Amino acid sequence: MKAAGNARYLRRRVWNIFNLGMAMATTLFGLFWLVWILWTTLSYGATAFNLELFTGDTPAPGSIGGLRNAFVGSLLMIGVAVLIGTPVGILAGTYLAEFAQGRRLAGAIRFFNDILLSAPSIVIGLFIYAVVVVPMGHFSGLAGALSLAILFLPVVLRTTDEMLGLVPSTMREAALALGAPHWKMIVQVSYRAARSGILTGVLLAVARISGETAPLLFTALSNQFFSTNLDQPIANVPVVIFQFAMSPYPEWQHLAWAGALIAAMAVLVLSLVSRFLIKDRSPR
Amino acid sequence: MPEPQKTKISVRHLDFFYGSNHSLRDINLDVPERQVTAFIGPSGCGKSTLLRVFNRMYSLYPGQRATGEVLLDGDNVLALGMDVNLLRAKVGMVFQKPTPFPMSIYDNIAFGIKLYERLRKVEMDERVEQALRQAALWEEVKDKLKTSGLGLSGGQQQRLCIARAVAVKPEVILLDEPTSALDPIATLKIEELVSELRNHFTILIVTHNMQQAARVSDYTAFMYIGEMVEFGPTNQLFTNPSKKQTEDYITGRYG
Amino acid sequence: MDKEPHISQRFDEELNAVHALVLAMGGVVEEQISNAVKALQDADADLAREVVARDHEVNGYEVQIEEECINILAMRQPAAGDLRLVMTLIKSIADLERMGDKASKIADMVLAMGHGTRNANPAFLRDVGVMADYALNMLRRAMDALARADAEQAVAVAKGDEVLNQEYRSALRRLITYMMEDPRTITPAIDALFIAKAIERIGDHARNICEYVIYLAKGKNVRHLPLDEVVKSIQGK
Repeated sequence: MKAAGNARYLRRRVWNIFNLGMAMATTLFGLFWLVWILWTTLSYGATAFNLELFTGDTPAPGSIGGLRNAFVGSLLMIGVAVLIGTPVGILAGTYLAEFAQGRRLAGAIRFFNDILLSAPSIVIGLFIYAVVVVPMGHFSGLAGALSLAILFLPVVLRTTDEMLGLVPSTMREAALALGAPHWKMIVQVSYRAARSGILTGVLLAVARISGETAPLLFTALSNQFFSTNLDQPIANVPVVIFQFAMSPYPEWQHLAWAGALIAAMAVLVLSLVSRFLIKDRSPR
Repeated sequence: MPEPQKTKISVRHLDFFYGSNHSLRDINLDVPERQVTAFIGPSGCGKSTLLRVFNRMYSLYPGQRATGEVLLDGDNVLALGMDVNLLRAKVGMVFQKPTPFPMSIYDNIAFGIKLYERLRKVEMDERVEQALRQAALWEEVKDKLKTSGLGLSGGQQQRLCIARAVAVKPEVILLDEPTSALDPIATLKIEELVSELRNHFTILIVTHNMQQAARVSDYTAFMYIGEMVEFGPTNQLFTNPSKKQTEDYITGRYG
Repeated sequence: MDKEPHISQRFDEELNAVHALVLAMGGVVEEQISNAVKALQDADADLAREVVARDHEVNGYEVQIEEECINILAMRQPAAGDLRLVMTLIKSIADLERMGDKASKIADMVLAMGHGTRNANPAFLRDVGVMADYALNMLRRAMDALARADAEQAVAVAKGDEVLNQEYRSALRRLITYMMEDPRTITPAIDALFIAKAIERIGDHARNICEYVIYLAKGKNVRHLPLDEVVKSIQGK
């Protein structure tokens, strides 16, 4: 009896150690590539890192320059995308979580939103190309911003829906039980409870669109010069990286690495901030 | 027995449906004013459902409907013209799980007051203090009114919720298993609080804990599968129930 | 008692155990009374001594039952019928213990009177014998009513107490007559009077138990009510 128990115990232990070992090995495997990518970006990017990067515009082949126009263009388009996508996404998410409980429409909206969420970004770029760029007759920053907004929207919608869904229904009931009108309950209680979650969603969505290249190729294209005119093609980090990295000129390649490093750092910072927000939320 | 009690809520021929599920059947009941009335019964007997009829909480959810009459001081709560928000200001509710809002202790209390009254800062301070005192929480939180209500212990959170309900100056307070998530000491504090509040409010409490019903209530209603089996003075119901079903339940004979 | 079992089987066991103990105590008290009266009639000092010695047994029962009832109250928080049963048992044992004391007191008197009893007028004790049989019968039926929570029988037994009281009053008159006729009979007659009084008290205690049984079965406190009203109130239920 006891011996049999010990044998079984031993078997379980061995099985446990094996599984633990496998889990650790696969984790290390994943981490290995991640570290490699970061290391490569860092080592190549760091060499091209200087003040000129932020003050100069994209240079002609053979001369020195920076990525100022690309940074500004990216920030502009991302800013516009956020301005368009955030209110729409939050309001739509609010509708789903607060008003459409159990309605068939809600299921349909969630389904299509999920499709939009996982749609290849190049498809979005092509779509904007067809409905904005072609009728306008030229590429523009606005078209770029629109395509980014479409990528941005489903993420915000989804997180808003989910974060509001996490707000306990008893808390809503408690607010309504005090005689609060529905909208007041949503604004003062639901949003407050889900605030950091929704903000995190927005930040992660920004991180997502800040690295998108494919839709911008069809829409904002790029611009060799400094421009803040959204009606015209505008420079942006991902497309510049794409162009410069593919080029035969070493200065351009260096700039591409520097841009990649900055983009990676930006995403890292956004992730850290959102991580911090989630942590801030956890004590409840 | 003191003189006959004035009736605060009369329920007449109340039926309740969750979709096609007939979950309350012909409930008739007179809830006396400024007394504690407890609702006991096995899970699913409809006691919480009944409680949620009194402030029309059920009407938040599609597919739930009530027929019959629930008269609060003679006005039918179920009538179409009833302003649900005003009703809820008059009939406060505290839930099973403490549900402080994600804001400061002060704002938790002020939230409900601001819905109906426009007060100057000094008056608001007074009202908040008064509500917290009524809920026996003032001494514990007076130095941290600006900190989050979520930082309080479970028992304190529940008393905060009671203070929040009391602050609106309701006439009736519904307590839906208010101590089932609390430890015994916190539970006793809530029970003590209920005994003190009975002088100012009509209190209806749903509880799974029969001893709790026996301790805090003046009247007890025993419900079983959607029906009101027995309603009477608590001491009578617990020493000499008139129905066998009640006896079996309170002596622990239900499987 | 004809009831569904509790969800907690141990609670049932505990209640049944303490209920059985009370009935056993009733049996011992009955035996004590019957022995005390027998010792009196037969002037049997040994039997009387035995009765006196056994009184602690009755007291022991009382202590034990009370303790177990308190445990049940503390651990189980009985309600409704269970609560009434426990209360009935607690109150009944107090009466049973007092009856035991009466038996012991009668036995004490038997010992005190010593051989003198033999010379006393047997007529003095004739009443006592009849009364004792009656009281014992009451006790037996009261315990029976308690065992079955039978309110009808309890009422019937309680009604019988009036008969015993009348017996006592007529015994009293007769003994007074003896004492007036012949002052030398005063001492034995007063002894007989005390004994008759003790037996009459036993009937009162039996009646008390019956009243508890009515409370147990019907949930109505009928103590200090005239019997007609008791009958009416339990029939109304």
